[in-house]
Amino acid sequence: MTLQVAVVGSGPAGCYTAQALLKALPGARITLVERLPVPFGLVRYGVAADHQGTKSVTRQFERVLSHPDVTFVGNVEVGTDVSLEVLRSSFDAVVIATGLDRDRRLGIPGEELPGVVASGRVTRWANGHPDACPAPPLLGRSAVVIGNGNVAIDVVRLLAKSPSDFAGSDLPAVVASALAAARIEEIVLVGRRGVDQARFDPAMVKELTRIGGATFDIPSISTAAVSPHAVSLRHLGEHQPRGDRVTVRFRFGWSPLRIEGDARVEKVVFADSTGAEHSVATETVVSAIGFAGPAALVPDEAPAESGRLDAGLYCVGWARRGPRGTIPEARTDARHVAGVVAADLKGRGPIPGRADPYRCFAALPATDLAGWHAIDRHERATAADGRVRNKITDRRALLRLARPHLNHLEGEPA
Amino acid sequence: MSIDVLYGTESGNAEMAAEEIVAALGDGRAVDLQDLDPDDLTSSAVYLVLCSTYGDGELPASAQPFVDALQAKRPDLTGVRYAIFGLGDSSYAESYSLGGNQLAECLDAQGAARFGDFGRHDASSSDDLVASAVAWAETALADVATAAA
Repeated sequence: MTLQVAVVGSGPAGCYTAQALLKALPGARITLVERLPVPFGLVRYGVAADHQGTKSVTRQFERVLSHPDVTFVGNVEVGTDVSLEVLRSSFDAVVIATGLDRDRRLGIPGEELPGVVASGRVTRWANGHPDACPAPPLLGRSAVVIGNGNVAIDVVRLLAKSPSDFAGSDLPAVVASALAAARIEEIVLVGRRGVDQARFDPAMVKELTRIGGATFDIPSISTAAVSPHAVSLRHLGEHQPRGDRVTVRFRFGWSPLRIEGDARVEKVVFADSTGAEHSVATETVVSAIGFAGPAALVPDEAPAESGRLDAGLYCVGWARRGPRGTIPEARTDARHVAGVVAADLKGRGPIPGRADPYRCFAALPATDLAGWHAIDRHERATAADGRVRNKITDRRALLRLARPHLNHLEGEPA
Repeated sequence: MSIDVLYGTESGNAEMAAEEIVAALGDGRAVDLQDLDPDDLTSSAVYLVLCSTYGDGELPASAQPFVDALQAKRPDLTGVRYAIFGLGDSSYAESYSLGGNQLAECLDAQGAARFGDFGRHDASSSDDLVASAVAWAETALADVATAAA
């Protein structure tokens, strides 16, 4: 009997796990179960629209999905459409790779005011996620971005760029028009820590020099400061475009205390290290302080170190390690967990009397790889305005293109 | 003449390109640089080396131990022939494709001889990585064959 492994989630952790399992368990069949009709998770819906180079790992993932031993089952949410228990009784091993998509909260007064939005929602919207697009964020002429990681810099680029700066990206047209209509003039990027403890990659700061029409206001940094962050900020200060379309101000060492406003946000109050308060007037606040657990389907106090949660049940990526680490770290993690799965299965073999693995999807309107490829072809063929892809942002439209059909996964493959 | 396709990778793109080169050539083997001892480099093989770039122009994780060993052991690589292909992302103009440059400099410093064109692939371009890498490999190997004839 062929070994059958289900991977829940087709983002970077899921795709790298399938890739690693193909090598570690040759001959096993791997099924990626994805709640959307489209694969790639955060690569499609988290990596910024103007970072197509980072999104290029999908070339590898396409190769994985097209492997004869891999099956993509889209539009099926484990825990809702099919239970984890049923999945576990149908496959010899199940690997949870659902990631984390809940925004970490600031935990300060005023966070509920209209005009305050978390970065996960913003990046899903800017990436055309079908769950985020019906509710675009409320944008004003000014914005405060709270956070000091790469996502905060992604948000700054999104808000600061002019429409022509998005050539070569796959920013959806509805997002581009909303941004253009907001005519954002001032962005203040505030980090709790000092310059040297900032979390962004220095290369991401240097990249900001390319935003035409922008001026960057950078606090003076001692020439003695040699951290890569300090060096990258000095570089930005020296090579910045000094335009008058938009101003981006960097502020370090300020902790947010409260957000104030009546009908919507009007200002954010911060405290510096001496306790002195600084008030910044703004119409929009984006918090970019990361994601929070727990991961869907993973028990809270799960012993996740090896990636093994229970007999035949594993977790990988952010679902295992928490919301830290980039795409390469997902690859490292996936290879580790795939090794654990392979060792367990080699010792144990298929579950005796296991159900036909595809029976659990038989009554569901699942989509397949051909469905994703139909969406992909359509998105590429209809791209306009210098975009590389015209992302379909409506779930029903995605499903129409993917043509879900019942029972097409019937029968255990040879 | 045996062909080793060596790769230094961070996200796996260079590994994929190396595997696809081996498949297209129908010859050789793909070897992760982290699994290679510099002392094992030999003049009886030809090396096709693919190397990505990480962060602000650094070497990718899987090339770092190889370069560390190269700099510690300083083997004499006279007679070792290699061609190089750098992967990068022009979104980061300051550091574009610097990983491949660094690796080539380290091999050159030990006396290795480079052949063929310095291949490049920009992840932000619309060029297909696999097609670019396979075309580079075929051209480079044709150059070696001509030189040997």
